[in-house]
Amino acid sequence: MSIDIDWLAFVRVFVVALVGAVLVVGFYAAGLRMLVRAGRVPVVAPAEFTDAITVISPKQAAKAEKAAAKAAKKSPLTEGQKTLALLAAYGSFGLCALAVLGGIVLIVVH
Amino acid sequence: METAALIVVLVIALALFFDFTNGFHDTANAMATPIATGALKPKVAVGLAAGLNLVGAFLSTEVSKTVSHGIIREDQISASHVDFLPLIFAGLVGAVVWNMLTWLLGLPSSSSHALFGGLVGATLVGFGVSGVDFGVLLSKIILPALLSPLTAGVIAFIVTRMAYAMTRRYDGKPDGRSGFRWGQIFTSSMVALAHGTNDAQKTMGIITLALIMAGWQDKSNADPHIWVIFACAFTIAAGTYLGGWRIIRTLGKGLTDVKPAQGFSAETSTAATILASSALGFALSTTQVASGSVIGSGLGRRGSKVRWGTAGKIAVGWLLTLPAAGLVGALAALIVRWLPTWGLLVDAVIALVVIIALFLRSRRDAVTAANAMSDVAESGMAVKVKKNPPPTRRQRAIIREQERLKAEEKARRKAEERERERRRADEEARRRAEKKAKAKADAKRSSDEKKKSDAKKKADAKSHADAKKKSGADAKKKADATKASAHDGGKKKSTAGKDGK
Repeated sequence: MSIDIDWLAFVRVFVVALVGAVLVVGFYAAGLRMLVRAGRVPVVAPAEFTDAITVISPKQAAKAEKAAAKAAKKSPLTEGQKTLALLAAYGSFGLCALAVLGGIVLIVVH
Repeated sequence: METAALIVVLVIALALFFDFTNGFHDTANAMATPIATGALKPKVAVGLAAGLNLVGAFLSTEVSKTVSHGIIREDQISASHVDFLPLIFAGLVGAVVWNMLTWLLGLPSSSSHALFGGLVGATLVGFGVSGVDFGVLLSKIILPALLSPLTAGVIAFIVTRMAYAMTRRYDGKPDGRSGFRWGQIFTSSMVALAHGTNDAQKTMGIITLALIMAGWQDKSNADPHIWVIFACAFTIAAGTYLGGWRIIRTLGKGLTDVKPAQGFSAETSTAATILASSALGFALSTTQVASGSVIGSGLGRRGSKVRWGTAGKIAVGWLLTLPAAGLVGALAALIVRWLPTWGLLVDAVIALVVIIALFLRSRRDAVTAANAMSDVAESGMAVKVKKNPPPTRRQRAIIREQERLKAEEKARRKAEERERERRRADEEARRRAEKKAKAKADAKRSSDEKKKSDAKKKADAKSHADAKKKSGADAKKKADATKASAHDGGKKKSTAGKDGK
């Protein structure tokens, strides 16, 4: 009884998953970075203020919003540069969504 | 034939029940992190997970083919296909019983591995080693079980580092990382989709295997019937939705410290690993993959350490699942073998008792964060994350530069202070010297003046004395003159009297 193991399949899974994850996280993080650069620091309060460890309190959320507004005011970029950064941010988010859709299509086609 | 039909119905019913419990249990795995970080309201998270599990079940059938046409060697048991049906049922009973036991004892486990363990154990009892394709078992079940958490962990580690590095600010201004909460809505949806793609198919594979063994499906056709896909998809979705109540009541108090950026990275890694594996027909445990991702992403945060004790317990639980469920499946199969007529009924009764116990257990109002936390959330405890992480290389360089500037500034201030002090001392000395000189000059001047005044006084006194002397002489002279004139007058008067006479 011989046991054939397709080791290459594991390598393929690792590479495909790594590339997919790097593309999705990379584009999304780049989008956030550009958004911050454009002076639109995202402050996303929790959908529900539960007592989980990482869920911030409404007071902390308000403080973060205030800090974001202050940082946006002090941005050294011109309006044109800010618009460019905002476009780059939306572009990055779009590429992230495309990477996700591409992955799903590949699985369905496969 | 009627017995075979009855067994097939029992197998389908038990398989669908298993599918339901899988969804019921794994909602927490898919939605643990978005609820813990507050990315989604628990009710929304549960609804989303149910809907995407349903969609995911329709995306691929590769895993189903692995279960129905891979692990069991139908060619070796072709002579007694109908005899195999009770063994599938026994295998399912083994899986359900093992799941129930681990749930009650709070041991980390995998529903998928319990299913495969039960099936393999029952087949080994029924047909010996020739009934199981160990090549497929090793390459599609055991090795993926060992490698997938590792793969997911390594990927999660890399992408977590990347996410933090790309959004890090060195000027202390807001970094916008809470924006990862938006992203978590999509990544947790992807995990739910991936779960539907992989886990719903396992049940499809079991039902398809039973249909093939009963002769109701062509052996050459590996794809599950459309009604099987629909039944499994809706059952897992229903289980996911109804399992949500545990999340609503418990995950709000999730003990795992998962930040939005970390949760986003962990979920992306989980979804990518499961979807890539599903496409190649690897039947994974989504719980193990998600746990591996949570541990990997935890290690991706600065200053984190592995709690090897907790990690070891989780790993032992995972490794034990397959052989333990196999043992329970083998016992259930032995009952069928020893009691040909009543064995199936005994197994059915055991399964019913287990189901009722599971139902009663789920109705009990004693759910706390300690006993109902998801396995994935619990796996986060295997990593210890520092509250104040150590600085990165660049931050260290910035700190060094700041310290250097501070030291320079301090030295400059000190030098300035010294210079000021020196100048002040010089000024003081100069002032003192000036004062001394002035005092000396004043003293000299005053002594000169005194001398002068003394001399003047002396001169004045002398002149005064001279003047006095002179005036005295004058007065004497005058007096003498007056005296003389008075003598002369008396003389004249007497002369005149004498003349008048």
